[in-house]
Parts: sequence; structure tokens; C-alpha cells
Amino acid sequence: MVLPLVLLVVALCAALTGWAGWFVARDRAVVLKQLWGGAVIEGAIVLQMIVAGVLAATGSSASDPVKLWGYLITALFILPVAAVWAFAERSRWSSVVLAVAAITVAFLEWRLWQIWTA
Amino acid sequence: MTHPENPETAPDPATRVPPSGGPDVPDVPDAQGAHDAPRRTGSGFGRVLVLVYGIFAISATARASIQLLRDWHEAPVAYGLSALAAVVYIVATIALARGSATSRTVAWTAVTVELVGVLAVGAWSMLDPAAFPKPTVWSDFGIGYGFVPLVLPVVGLTWLWRTRPPQTSTTEPKDRA
Repeated sequence: MVLPLVLLVVALCAALTGWAGWFVARDRAVVLKQLWGGAVIEGAIVLQMIVAGVLAATGSSASDPVKLWGYLITALFILPVAAVWAFAERSRWSSVVLAVAAITVAFLEWRLWQIWTA
Repeated sequence: MTHPENPETAPDPATRVPPSGGPDVPDVPDAQGAHDAPRRTGSGFGRVLVLVYGIFAISATARASIQLLRDWHEAPVAYGLSALAAVVYIVATIALARGSATSRTVAWTAVTVELVGVLAVGAWSMLDPAAFPKPTVWSDFGIGYGFVPLVLPVVGLTWLWRTRPPQTSTTEPKDRA
């Protein structure tokens, strides 16, 4: 239940990182379509929050719910903030920003999974 | 962090994407003025740097909040230093993003404190592990974060140096108008 969701977000992040990395190599700035890709990841994180909430309500919450929610909320905020920050830059560096943000979310998901299964 | 190969900030006009969306870009000096005007610390490669600083500011703050509010008794020294690191990252992020003359001074100070902090805490945590029953961002030179905390201040100081405005250059005498 939990692992597939984490893997889903990590896979989406890897795809967005690859897309942004390709734009870096092509010396291109972030385009709106990539932000829609980020929005899909946001949707998946919201889904994780719903699942985490349902699991907590049914009594099978994580051993450290405060940390779990800390990571969930942080993961949710990274991409929107990075998207605004990246879009103000009209050079290849905006693509680097998006790639770094996606890698960060993937890293947070890995930590999230550790906390969730601890 | 990953692509310091070309820190030139002036975007090549030929590769610019039409500004069809997003917030307006502040005027970038044209090719003629780009080399004379002081470059902003928050654009070009600096935009990536500010993002990484921002991520560390957010994560260090979140981590320090939980540690200080809930687990203070477990490792007061380590958690106090986590809070210090969080403040330093917040200040550095804002200062680098703003990039005004004052912000530049603040950024120099914050990033220097960060470098001293990661070196001092890194050495301290290795020499006296008993003082750090729980890790901080800076313990063992930031090993828990892939040594990014160790590399980040070096990159930050290099970036501040490379984007320094000509009038604050310390190697050449000031040319008074």
C-alpha cells in the first residue's frame, strides 16, 4: 500500500529529472508542460497524505507521525516553490533548478518510506 | 551544486524561450553591460544555489523545530547546533536571493559562518561523538546529506567572489568618480 505509492512518486520524479536534464543539455529553459508534470507529482503526494491520514485514522499510523507529516508537507512545498523560482529565470539554469527540486522530492520520499516502515 | 561549469549569468538571447508565462523577468543587462555591471547573486547559476540553500533552510528548520520542541532533552548540544544551522541557512538564502549591496555583505557573513560551522561541528562530532548522540546537519561534515553541507559554503563563497561588483574589489585601488 505504502511502498507502491512511494515508488510511484520516485519514478515520476526521476522522469521529471530526466526531462529537465534533457533541457539542460539542450540549453533550454523550463516550459509550462514540465510544470504540469510537477503538478502530477503534487497530486501523487496529496494521495500519499490521504493514505497516511486514513492509515492513522484506522490505527496503523507510523511510529513517528510528526516526522512523517513533516516530510510529507515539506515534499509538497518543494516543487511549487521551485517552479516559481525556476520560471523567473529564462535560461538553462531554470531547468537545473527543476531537476534539483525533483531529485530533492525523490530523496524526501526515500526518507519518508524509512519513517513509514520504521 | 552539480553544474558549476559555466557560472556566466547572461542568458544567450538566441536560446531564450519566449516569455509566454510566469512572472516577469527583471531586465537583464545586455551583452555590452553584462560584464561591467555587478551580477546578481540570485540569477543564472545563483538561482540553483539559492534553491539548494532554500531546501536546506526548509529542511533544517523543520528538523530543528521537531528536535527543539519535542526531543530537546535527548541531545541539547546537537539540537541547539541544528537550530543555529537552520538560522544560518535562512539568512544565506534570503541574502543570496536579494543580492543588493547590503545583502551581499550579509551573504558573505552567513556563508562564512556556515563554513566555519560545518568545519567546527564536523571536527567536534568526530573527536567527541558522545556530545552528539543524535546527528545534526553539520555533524561528521554533513555525511547524512551527502556532504552537500560541506560543499555548499565553498560554492557559495566562490559564487559571491565571482559575482562581486567591481567597486568592492579589494585587489585594485578604488577609482573615485
